[in-house]
Formats: sequence, C-alpha cells, structure tokens
Amino acid sequence: MGVAAIDRRDVRDNLGDDPGRRAPLVLGKHDNATITDKVCRIVEMPKPPKAWYVAFGIALTVTGVLGAMLAYLISTGVGVWGLNKPIAWGFDITNFVFWVGIGHAGTLISAILYLFRQNWRTGINRFAEAMTIFAVICAGMFPGIHTGRAWLDYWLFPLPNQMAMWPNFRSPLLWDVFAVSTYMTVSICFWYMGMIPDLATIRDRTTSKLKGAIYGIFALGWRGSNRHWHRYERAYLLLAAIATPLVLSVHSVVSFDFATSMMPGWHATIFPPYFVAGAIFGGFAMVLVLAVPCRQWFGLKDLITPRHLENMCKILLATGMMVGYAYAIEFFISWYSGNPAEGFVFINRAFGPYAWAYWTMVFCNVATPQVFWSRRARQNPWIIFGVAICVNVGMWFERFVIIVTSLHRDFLPSSWNMYFPTWVEVTTLVGSFGLFFTLFLLFLRFLPMVAMAEVKAVLQKQHHEAR
Amino acid sequence: MPPLDPKSGGRALWRSLDDLAGDKAFQDAVGREFPLYADEMLAPSRREFLMLMGASVALAGMTACRRWPVENIVPFSHRPEGYVPGERLQFATSYDRNGAAIGLLVSSFDGRPIKIEGNPLHPMSLGATDPIAQGTLLQMYDPDRSTGLFERAGQGEGTPRTWDEFAVWAEPILARHKASGGAGLRILAEPSSSPTLLAQKKRLESVYPQAVWVEWDPLTRDAEREGARLAFGRPLRRHLDLGKADVVLALDADLFMDDPAGLSHTRAWARRRKGEDGVMNRVWAVEAGYSLTGASADHRIPVQSALVPVALGRIAARMLRSGLTLSAGCEGLREAIERFESHAFDDPRLDTIAADLLAARGRGAIAVGPRQPAAAHALAMALDAALGNSGNAVTYADDPEPARPGHLEAIAKLASDLSAGLVETLVILGGNPAFDAPADLDLAKRIGSVSQTIRVGLYDDETSSLCRWQLPEAHYLEAWGDARGWDGTAGVVQPLIEPLYGGRSAIEIAAYLAAGAWTPGYELVRTTWSTRLPAAGFEKAWRRVVHDGIEAGAAPALTPVFAAGWGGEVARLAEARQLGGDAMELLFAKSSAVHDGRFANCGWLVELPDPMTKLTWDNAALLSPSDAEALGVKAIGDLVTMSLPGGSLVLPAFILPGQAKGSVTVNLGWGRSRAGRVGNGAGVDAYPLRTAASLWRAEAKLARTPGSAMLATTQDHWVVDTLGRKEEQVRAEELIRTGTLAEYRAKPEFAREMVEVPHAAPISTYPIEYNGHKWGMAIDLSSCIGCAACSIACQAENNIPVVGRKETWRGRDMQWIRVDRYFEGDPESPGLAFQPMTCHQCENAPCEQVCPVAATVHDHEGLNVMVYNRCVGTRYCSNNCPYKVRRFNYFNNHKHETAVSMMVYNPEVTVRMRGVMEKCSYCVQRINAVKIPAKNAGRPISDGEVVPACAQVCPAEAIAFGDLNDPHSRVRALHDDARCYGVLEEINTRPRTRYLARLRNPAEGKA
Amino acid sequence: MAGDRKLWGLVAEFRSADDLIRGAAAVREAGYTRWDAHAPFPVHGLDDAMGIKSTILPWLVLGAGLTGCSLGFLMQWWMNAVDYRFVIGGKPFNSLPTDIPVMFEVTVLFAALTAFSAMIILNGLPRLAHPLLRNARFRRATDDAFFISIEASDPRFDVAETEQLLRASGGTLVEWVEA
Repeated sequence: MGVAAIDRRDVRDNLGDDPGRRAPLVLGKHDNATITDKVCRIVEMPKPPKAWYVAFGIALTVTGVLGAMLAYLISTGVGVWGLNKPIAWGFDITNFVFWVGIGHAGTLISAILYLFRQNWRTGINRFAEAMTIFAVICAGMFPGIHTGRAWLDYWLFPLPNQMAMWPNFRSPLLWDVFAVSTYMTVSICFWYMGMIPDLATIRDRTTSKLKGAIYGIFALGWRGSNRHWHRYERAYLLLAAIATPLVLSVHSVVSFDFATSMMPGWHATIFPPYFVAGAIFGGFAMVLVLAVPCRQWFGLKDLITPRHLENMCKILLATGMMVGYAYAIEFFISWYSGNPAEGFVFINRAFGPYAWAYWTMVFCNVATPQVFWSRRARQNPWIIFGVAICVNVGMWFERFVIIVTSLHRDFLPSSWNMYFPTWVEVTTLVGSFGLFFTLFLLFLRFLPMVAMAEVKAVLQKQHHEAR
Repeated sequence: MPPLDPKSGGRALWRSLDDLAGDKAFQDAVGREFPLYADEMLAPSRREFLMLMGASVALAGMTACRRWPVENIVPFSHRPEGYVPGERLQFATSYDRNGAAIGLLVSSFDGRPIKIEGNPLHPMSLGATDPIAQGTLLQMYDPDRSTGLFERAGQGEGTPRTWDEFAVWAEPILARHKASGGAGLRILAEPSSSPTLLAQKKRLESVYPQAVWVEWDPLTRDAEREGARLAFGRPLRRHLDLGKADVVLALDADLFMDDPAGLSHTRAWARRRKGEDGVMNRVWAVEAGYSLTGASADHRIPVQSALVPVALGRIAARMLRSGLTLSAGCEGLREAIERFESHAFDDPRLDTIAADLLAARGRGAIAVGPRQPAAAHALAMALDAALGNSGNAVTYADDPEPARPGHLEAIAKLASDLSAGLVETLVILGGNPAFDAPADLDLAKRIGSVSQTIRVGLYDDETSSLCRWQLPEAHYLEAWGDARGWDGTAGVVQPLIEPLYGGRSAIEIAAYLAAGAWTPGYELVRTTWSTRLPAAGFEKAWRRVVHDGIEAGAAPALTPVFAAGWGGEVARLAEARQLGGDAMELLFAKSSAVHDGRFANCGWLVELPDPMTKLTWDNAALLSPSDAEALGVKAIGDLVTMSLPGGSLVLPAFILPGQAKGSVTVNLGWGRSRAGRVGNGAGVDAYPLRTAASLWRAEAKLARTPGSAMLATTQDHWVVDTLGRKEEQVRAEELIRTGTLAEYRAKPEFAREMVEVPHAAPISTYPIEYNGHKWGMAIDLSSCIGCAACSIACQAENNIPVVGRKETWRGRDMQWIRVDRYFEGDPESPGLAFQPMTCHQCENAPCEQVCPVAATVHDHEGLNVMVYNRCVGTRYCSNNCPYKVRRFNYFNNHKHETAVSMMVYNPEVTVRMRGVMEKCSYCVQRINAVKIPAKNAGRPISDGEVVPACAQVCPAEAIAFGDLNDPHSRVRALHDDARCYGVLEEINTRPRTRYLARLRNPAEGKA
Repeated sequence: MAGDRKLWGLVAEFRSADDLIRGAAAVREAGYTRWDAHAPFPVHGLDDAMGIKSTILPWLVLGAGLTGCSLGFLMQWWMNAVDYRFVIGGKPFNSLPTDIPVMFEVTVLFAALTAFSAMIILNGLPRLAHPLLRNARFRRATDDAFFISIEASDPRFDVAETEQLLRASGGTLVEWVEA
C-alpha cells in the first residue's frame, strides 16, 4: 500500500493571485497514487462513456466523407474545386495554413513553456502535443491533394527519379516540405518520449495480458531507473531546446509561401512573426476547445485546473492583440510604402467584395478575446469555450482573407475575378475536422492524456513548498 | 457512300477505301476477327493520310513537273518526290465567305491540314487572316458535320442513301424540268465569287431557261451596291485605300472586321499609325454599336444608327456652306442637303469633322456601313467626289454580276413563288435560309411545302431538316474550286484532304444539275481557267496559279459619272427621327464569332471572346449604361424582353459603355437548334425578329424581365464595384500608355516617364548573359485593333483546348494570348484600348522561383520554358505571375475528342494532360523549325524568319518578334524606340515582351 | 523466500523521495557500484546523491546537428548547382539565402532524432524483460513507490550485509529478486 509520507493537504482554489507564493497546480486531496489512478482509469475503463461512442461515430463518418471527396478529386481533377485563373489557391491552402497553425500550440507548450520552467504546462502538454500531431496530419494532407497530379507529389522530395532531376530548392513550397515533415517527425519524438514513463505505468497496472504486452512494447521496458531518468531529462531538455526554434521556423516558412512571392498583399516582411503569433493564438484556442470539455467529462478538473485555463486565456488575449497589431501595421505599411498595388489590396480587403470575410476575421480575432480582460470571463469555462471557437473561426478566415483577397484582384484588372468554393471544397474542409477528431478520440481512449510522471514531479515540488 | 459515324472517326477517307469501310460484311469480319480493335482498324490510319498527302502534293504542283492524272491517289510504294513524311508543307488556296474571298496558305502535316494562314500574295489577305477564316479548319474536322446522304419523308432523321441512289431519284426529275424548260426549278444559293460556279450557273440558264437562281445573304451588303446604282445608275463596287487617306469618316461602318476587304484596310490603316514619321491618319467614327473601327478611331461619336445619315447630311451641309461645290450631276442634291440643317439632331463635333474633311481634300474618305440606306451611300459617294477623294482613297470598279437582283428582293420573290405553288423542285446550295431568312417570309414553312427539295450543306441543319434530300457538301478544304476577292483578284481553291464524309462541292452539284452527269470538280475548275489563262503554255500558267493561289490583277478601277435626279432619296434621309422614351432602335449585327450562324458549332470561335464585350458562348442585348439603368438592369445577364410588332424575345442584357443611348444591338447567328453538340442552345436566336422591312434596324420596346442568365465573359467577371472600377481606371493608364501625336512630337519618350522604375539599371542577383539568340517581342498598341486573330492563331498552332461555357464562366479560359480591353473616360462615350497579353518571358521570371519541381525554367536563349511532363500542378507559378498569363488544365480537356477532331492537332506541340500548367512558349516549335535547318546549312537566321503564330496572323503588323541580339532586327529597333515600355517593369521582372505606347491623333490635338 | 533460482539482487522500497535520496547516499557511501534507484518521476537531488556523472548525450546531439546542417547545404548545392543546373528566375545556381531554411530544418531533424535515439540506446532500452519487472511489488515503481536495487553481481555484494545496509538507510520491505 502506498504509504506516502507527505501530508495530504486539500487544496481547493488556485486562483488566489497572491504574487508572494506560486499557486498550486494540482487541486484536491492528491498524492501520486490518486493521480495515477485518475489518469489511468480513463484508459483502463472497460467501456468508455456513451458520449465517446457518439462522438467517435460522428467523427468516423465524416472522415469517410473526406475519403470520398479525395477519391472524387483525384479521379476527376482539381477542377471540382472553385479555383480559377487569378485565384489558383483557395480552400486548399487556406486549410493547410489553418491546420499547421493549430499544430503549433502543442510543441510550443511542451517546448517553450518547458524551457521557461512554466510548470503549469504539465496538466495540458500531453494532449496539446497529441493535438499538434493530428493537426499536422490534417495540414499535410492539403498540399498533397491540391496538386493537379497528386500521384506525382513524390517529385517534391529530393528522390532520384526517371528524369534525373532534383527539386528546386529556391521554392518556398519545397521549404514547406522540409519544414512540415521535420516538424511532424520531431513532434512525434517529443510526444512519444514524454509518454514512455506513463506507458510503463499503464503496463504495470494492467491485468490483461494483451494490454500488458502492447503497452509493454511501447514502454520499451522502462523501470523508472534514475540513471535512465538522468539521460531522459537531458534528452527531453535538448529536444525542447531544438523544438522551440523549430516551432517558430515552421510557420515562418509557411509564411514564406506568401512573403517571398510578388503578389501585393503577400509580399510583406511582417509575415513570419505575424504568422507565428497567429499560430500560437489559434493553437491555444484549439487547446482550450479540447481541454474544456475533456476535463469536464473525464473528471480531470484537479489536474487541468481553472488556473491552467486562465493562463491560456491570458495568452489568447496577448497573442490576439499581437495579431490585431499585425492587421493594423499591414495597413500602415501598405500606405507608407507608397506602393499603389499594395495599397489597393488592403483597401479592397476591407471594403471590396470580400469585406465580409475581412471583418469576420477582425471581429473574431481582435474583438472577442478582449472579454478576457475580465477575470470572471477567464474563469467561466463556457465563455472560454465560446471565445476559443470564435478564435478558430477567425483564424481560418485570416488565412482565407490573405490568400483569396490578395489573388482575386492583383496587378492586371483584366484578370480580376471572384472565387466561389464548390460543395466539394466545403465538404473536404469539414472532412478534415472529422479526421482530426477521429484521431483525437482514439488518443483519449488508449493513451494517458495527462503526463502523470511530470504531474507527480510538480506535486512533489508543491508539497515541498507547502512545508 | 455509306453514312459515317463521326465517333468512329470518319472512316472512309478516300474513295477506294470507301466501299471497303462501308461494306457491312467487311466491318463484321473485322469485328469478328479483332473485336477489340475494330474501331482502330476502321479509323483513318496515318498511312492513308500519307497516301492522300502524295495526292495533295501532286495536285498542288508544289514540286516542279509531275504528270500523273490528278485524281489518282498515289500508292505509298511510290512516294512523291520532294515529300518527306513528318514535314510541314504549305498549300495556297482561297476561302470564299459571302461572295468575297481571301487567299490562304494552309499548312499540311502528313496529309492533315493543321493550320490556316493568310496568303501574302493575295491583296485581300496580305498574309493575314481573321478569326473566322482560321476557324474553318476546325469546322472541316467537326464530327457533327453532315456525314452522308439522307432522304427524308417529312420529319425525322431520314434514311441513309448513296450518291447513286440519289442519281436514280434525281434523273427523271431533271429530265422533266429539261423538257419544261425548268419552269418549276429554283436554286437557292449562298453568294459565291467562284468563276466556275458562275459558269455552271450560265450552263443551267441555257439548259433550264425558266429556272431561277436565287441568291440570299443574311449579311447582305447590297445597300452600297444600290447606293451606287442610285448615284451612277448602275451597280458598282466601291474600294477604299486607307493608305491614301489622311482623314477617314466611318459612318456606322466597321472597316476592319465587318468588311470584305477588312484585312487590307487594317494593314493600310495600321501603316499610317506609327508616328515615327510624325504623320498619322485620323479616323472619325459615328456609330451606334461599338465597332473595332470605333475603338481604333481618334474620335467616336455614339449616335443612334437611324441618325447616322442625318449626321452625314449635317456634315455635308456645313461643307457646302464653307464653299464645297458638288461635282457635275449632283447639283440637285444641294437643297436636299440643306434640309438637314433644320433637323433636331446635332453635335458640335460634326463641324470639326466637316472642317477636317475639307482640309484634307483628295486625302480623305467617307465610308458608310452596310446597315445604312442606299441613299446615305450615294450621298457619301457624292461628297467623296466633291472633295476629290474619288480616284485617290476611294475608287470604283464594275460589279462582277450587275444583272443579279438584290438579295432581299430575290428571296422575297422566291417566297411568293413558293406560296404561289410555282416551285416543284427547290435546290438549296449551302447557306441556311430556313434559319436566317427574314422571319416574315416564313421560308421554313414554305420550303416544307415543296415536294422535291434537295439540300446541299456542310451540316444537317435547320434547313436540311425540312428538305427531302440532304447531300453532304464538301468543305472548301476538301474540294476544288475558285474564288474572287472583293477587289476582283481571282484565285484557285485546292483540296488539302479528301472529303471526310464523301461530300461534293457546290460546283460539282451545279454541274450535275446542268449535265445530268458527274464531272470532277478539278475538271470543271480547269475548264473555267483554260478560258482565263493563255492557251499557250497553259499548263505552266495553271501550275503557277495553283502554286501561288491567285492570278494577279484586280478589277480595273473606273471613274463613273453621276446620274441625276436622286435628290429626293437623300432628302428623305432627313426625315429620320430620334427614338426616345421606352422605344429603342434594335440593331442586328454580325457576330464576330459565329458570323451569320454558320460557325455556331466551331468551338474555337464560340469560345473566342467578343472584342468589345469579352463575351463567349452567348449573345446578348447590348445596352448603354444609361439605358440599362433606366430599364433596371443591374448586372450583365439580367434578362430583358424585346417587344416588336412581329413578336417578342427574352434575352440577357449586357451593359456596354459606348453603346449609343436609345439603341440596342443584338448579334445574329446564335440560338441554333441543329448546329451540333457545341452550338445547340448557345445564345438566343434573333432572326425571328428580323423582317424584310427591318433587315438591320427595327423599333422595339424593352422591359426588364425577372431572372438572370449566366454569361461567361473572360474579363470583368461579375459586377466590378466602384472601388474596383476606380482602380481599374488608374491602372489602365499605366498599362496602356496613351499619348496624342502632339505629345509624342513634344516628348517621344513620354511613355517611359509615366511610371517610375525604381532601378536605373534593372538589377538581378545573377546577371545571365544571353549571348546566342535572345528572343523578344514588341507589340505596337497604336496599330492593334483588338480583332483577336492572334488568339485563334495561337489556339490552332498550340493545340489549345476549348473548355466550354461553364469553365469559361469560372474563369478557366485557356487562350494563351488574350486581348485585354479597357474603357477610358465617360461611360456614355468612352474611349477604348486593347492590349494583347501573353507570357512576357520575364528574365527574372517570378513563376520559376516558386515552382518546387523546376517545371518552368529558363533556357539559354532566355525563353521561359514550361516543362509539361515535369509539372505536378501546384499552380503556385500562376499565383505568382503578375501578368496572369498561365493557364491550368483543371480537367482533362481532351476527353471528348473523336478520331476526326483529333486530326486538327499540330503534331509539333504536346497535347497537355489534366493537372498541368501551360502558357505561351513564343512558339518554340517554330523557332526550332527555323533554327535546326539554319544550323544544318551553317547559315545565320535572318530577321523575320522566325514568326510566332500570333505575329504571323496579325493584319495590323502590331506584333514583332525576333532576336534582340541582332542589331538590325525589327524587334531590336522597336525595343529601342522611344515609345517602348514594359508593363510592370517597376517590379523588375525584366519582360522580353514590350509594348509601344498607343498614339492617338485627335483633331486640334485634344483626345 | 529465496527460491532455487539464482539471485539477481536485492530491492528495497522507500517511503518517500526524500528517504530515497538519503538511502541512495548511504548505498553510495558503502561503495556499491552496480545498483540503481527507481522512482515514478525524476527526483531532484537524487543524481548527486547517487553521484551520476552527466551524460555525453548533448555532445552527440551537437555533432548530429552540425552534420545535418552541412549535409543540408551540400545536398542543395550538389543538386541545384552541380548535378542538374537550371536557370531559375535570374537567380544564381547556388544561392545561400534560399538554402538556409532547408539547412535549418535538416539540422533540427538530425539533432532531434539523435537526442531521441541516443536516450534510448544509452539507457540500454528497449529491454522488455528484466528481473525487476517480474517483481510484483516493484510494479509500483511507475506509480507511487520508490526503490533501490542492488545487483548480486556487485563486487561488494553480500546478501546479509547488503540487506542490513538497505534497512539501515531507511529501506522498508527488502526483497530478494531472482534472475
């Protein structure tokens, strides 16, 4: 029986912002055993709650629709989308940038907050990382299918081919290929490595032989040896240190797709920081969208505490304002640069035929987060949830605005045109969400969604400080 | 000959194969033997073409003396001398359209004609062509053509027949007519300039003295002919030499596009627009609809068509007041002219025109359009004579058929004869009268009432469906014939390929009707020419004519004497009243795409944007912005109803700035019901509103009808909001830099200084030296008339697909070279400028750096080459192209090709697959076609040897192409010209295609 | 409880992380070399207590990163400027600025993969079968219990003495672990 010598103090609230002492990150009467229990029970329960089945059923169906759309697209041609001469990119690349953006919060939380010793990350980093990976899978899909001859996509990789040709490394699209695939790989390493001790925990608790074998294999025979912990921590720190610039680079590279082109509205030096801020913004919003219901349904309120939510709200507020600043500065520069084409693009964004999209974006991304100035809003999960949804919508529209409104009226008025997505494009977008949630629900069911080992470490510290 | 299924590829391509392919037993045998390959075996093989090829060469007399009987198809075992398989050969021929021909050179590849170009020797084409002449190539390969003989009892598809069966049916009937002197025989033909056909006509007249040969042309130009009859007492042809005209007044006349001599007019006009020599001609246009001439004019006055004669009258009056004396015979006109002074309509600019014409006595010309009444033409002729323009820019020649009655008169007579039951047998040679005859004549019903009707036509169309017999007509590229240009120059029409569907030409049919036996077209033509050419050395002369395509020598000019006593006619012009309120004048116009309707099934033409509206796949009611507003027409495509006494019509409206207030133009020839897969249901048929009384102009009431149609334009998609329109104005000035002659004289390089280019010397991170050839292009915006001949030439040369209405509506049109059109100034009376836009082959190409797979790269001559088989289709290059000249294959655009329609492809250009980007290549295949032989011969390439399709076809010589490294090349000189500027140079793309600023020559220097 | 099977070593449970640290210090004092401490989470101060000297892993990562960087550059230079050159938008065949993004990504990729795999390999993982994992009680090492294990192969190992040492240093419930 686990006789934990530490006194079990019951912590109720961790919102008393007393700057003097760090607020506790784990609530309720908890010791290591109860934490293990709380997290593992979700994985161990013989049958998940009905809600899970319903959600999974829906997600899986939508994924099926996605499959059908892709089949139709690739068998018929990109023409099934609403693209045309000036507007050769529409939903496809919009969705790509949107999902990549979502995919930033996870590694960011794991890496940057880890480097900054922000211990409150421990509650959320695990499924934030999972979210990252699934989002990047969705993101990676779009550039793959948007090409006219998708079956030749492998030409984008530096592989020997029958033409004895190599890709063109001057193209931002090629940088994307490297950035996104690297990001994918590193994120998976990060995620898996963080999970090894927890997988061992499940292995050691399970009674089923099969489960034991499977989790055992993935746990790699971890036995909590401190000599292992030593290298493990060092490697984790290094991964964090490497992943941090990587996170920043990925969305910078994505922004190069636009920044290095000639199109007015794309050709802007502000893009890399602007995109990264946007990515963090959107990413955290998505974390909240997932965290709020999860802690509710799986009884993790003690581990994902109001404090966690509040911190993320503050980040939303901050990054939201950065994004707003970027919107403003874009306008200023377009005027200040004295480049007429540039100037027109921005006037046209705000007052042209796509003004509705532009103002939707501004409202969702700049206006709504302002409610977080109020503490009550920061502490009401459902307000948080609503705002987070808003921000996700806004961030999608930001990409749509950047791509479509810049293209639809470029240099020569003779080729100006409008872009109307077809049902195929819309369904594909919806389908990508299906894929995302399918993967995420599987994760919730079979993998520890909170980093137990880390929480225990934090708990340890917390008790020490309490002494 | 058996009927052919076009889908299986027009099997029977040459006679000796016919029987084989047609033989049921044989087909079954094939089916049994090779069930899988039956189609292929019956489809035309390359080898068959090569055999035909031999024939064509022999016929063409390209290579010195060969003397086998021309109808023989040379077995491949004896390859004709001088013919190398896979080599492009050109043959001269002529294309007759509405009774006036232009000379052509047709490129043939292993027996397949694949490209039509103008014959430089022919004065009516001078090496150029128009879109329609080029479209005839696709027409010949049209799988929807009439594929065989059909006999119809009443309605229905009819039963397939052979020519022999037809003969069996026809012989007794012809015999009967012979006996009765042909009383009940009528022949309804489309106008033709063929001397041979004329000869057959004469033979028919001798065999059937009482038979009547009726000629009908829906786009008749008889008004001018009648004008001459009025002025001089006899029909004459009026010729303009714009090269001799300093001041041209075009009254409702499109001298460039809607004129049988349009190509030569364009050439002559364009040569006077350069400005280098400091002298330019000046064109005044007074017209209702916006024509190409109006667009290139220095001044354009939008006026209701009905008031154009009044404008002319007022100009005349002013000239008389300023002391112009009318020439002998016209004195009687004076008081008639003075009556115009009191007319309600006036415009201050008319004074300027009068003054301008007076100042340019003997160096001017007054042109009146075919839509105007005869008297207006006569008046113009009188004024030209008084001004001394006659004999200089304006000349007259004899009408080739002075005896011919007017088209309208003739068809009206036929209609009455039909209803009077005087007609037993009606032979319809070509045309499509049931579709395009004046509605009130109700010809369709009346043709149906005749028992013996024989229709000879390219298509099984509206008229054929009413006739007992449908005989497939041989396309002019399939048969022998001859034709005369508008100026009288005669030329030979020689076949480029055996009739795809066993058709026979009009002359063969006519000869058959006269003789009751078939004579090969070749014999008929030769016989005619044996009378034209000297008997001594006929063979040599004949071969020369076949080779050159023409017999030099136009109809001699003459100086006619005015008849008296037609002042009354002129005076009546002054009674024209201005329409207002809800009554508008409805103008019928020739369609720049489908002509009179005969090209409704030609994809190239149907998808070719109209020069003014940029509308494809449809016609519309063209309204001036103010009228549109009054009617409540908000966007293009909004439906309007036109009500006339004769009936009403609902059609989509199109708001066209510059359309005269109170007049609405509708293009004819659309809305065909039996055109074929392309043409059926495209557009709205306006012929039903057209009556004999109102052939060109009717009074109509317009009203907005709920609903809107999807119109596919290639420019100004959707309504451009005020914000966008303002910006468009600003940009247009920088894209098409325009100056007046005065400004140019003052500062020749004005264009360069209009936009500030940041870098004194264009910077590049990697200055590449192009030391070999350095291809470049220069486009002179002063002479471009926007006819879009270049677009079609490019389409034919580069195998560019037709994508259809919906795709065009989406904005996925594929033409590699497009003609951008920008309006300037007041929407009611705007100026208009054209700018051909194609790949600029930028040296710092933005498209290249963004392609991840390097599918578009530069070659050592600085061409921006597109590597189709490397392209994966990210479309990033298109996004990053500032000129938006890249075209993407969103679908497989060749899915519906048939064995026949595929024959039109140029084998030297890849046919692009789905998901691949494509664009202008400066016709790299043509560059190499010159480079390689030159290299083999070890000689340098001389300037003008390499000519891309667009430059070759341009009637205005607006496009120059060549080697920028050659100091003496024309393009080099133009790039160094003071007027030369690059579009979007300021973003440092370093384009290889540059433009020469547009010069205008307004009176008193004001634009 | 010693069975007929060969003894692998001894394992003792400790009440808390702090006890574990104390125990580890004691074992180290005693001069044992083949022993280890086990905790459900990395315990601070335990490394010093056990006298673990820091790993060479960072140097491996650094090396990998540098290799990746240079490989990234060489690849681009060889592919675009040597093996198959094309003139792209008037840019040099080998333009360093455009190479940087890919160089960076390859650097990160190599470094990250090395950090990950080096951790596994240096830890002698994966090792799916281990005497300790067969011990029922020891399973809680990944839950909430703390252990010290001393291997029988240790030169200073002596069943009685070692067991005594473990108890003395605060270990409860010392158990024999069979190989």
